[in-house]
Amino acid sequence: MNNSPLLFFAVCFLFLALTLIIRLAKGPSAADRAVAADSIDILGDMALILFALYSGRGVYLDIALVTAVLGFIGTTLIAKYLEGRL
Amino acid sequence: MIYVIYVLIGLSVFFALAGVVGMLRMPDAFCRMQSSTNIATFGVLGVIIGGILYSAIYLQNGGMAVKLAVMGAFYIVTNPIASHAIAKGAYRHGVKPCDKTVCDKYGEDME
Repeated sequence: MNNSPLLFFAVCFLFLALTLIIRLAKGPSAADRAVAADSIDILGDMALILFALYSGRGVYLDIALVTAVLGFIGTTLIAKYLEGRL
Repeated sequence: MIYVIYVLIGLSVFFALAGVVGMLRMPDAFCRMQSSTNIATFGVLGVIIGGILYSAIYLQNGGMAVKLAVMGAFYIVTNPIASHAIAKGAYRHGVKPCDKTVCDKYGEDME
């Protein structure tokens, strides 16, 4: 079965994630950079999920789940640090 | 059925594109956080639902479907928490809204 549109959508997500590096580079404040890094994380996860569906292997889903958990922990930690209570 | 899955994932790509454009063009930090939550909710849900359908119907793999459901529940639970925490942290850190803002109740409460 031809399922190459999944690979096309994965490349779309990766392209969007690469575009967000602009905001990561020139964000005026630290909060902008943290939010941009979190969004890059989420878009990379979506690309990993689509590649797992394309190749039919469940290992990439484990990697995506671990990346999602680490991204959430990192964002919350940066938020606490910016608030001044760390 | 495969076209339903492709349409779901395509809608997800569209919402992610809208969120990325908003993050690049919005005027201040809080508007950009709103666009980022657009990526994190609608950009995720289409891929998750389409992936559950695809792995359950075409791949015949129940483990992948359950993993995707767990990931979707995790995203739905944790993204509002992270967005709320980083908005509050940014305000306390000293990030100001742009000049066109008409209402700032949180700043009035802090004084």
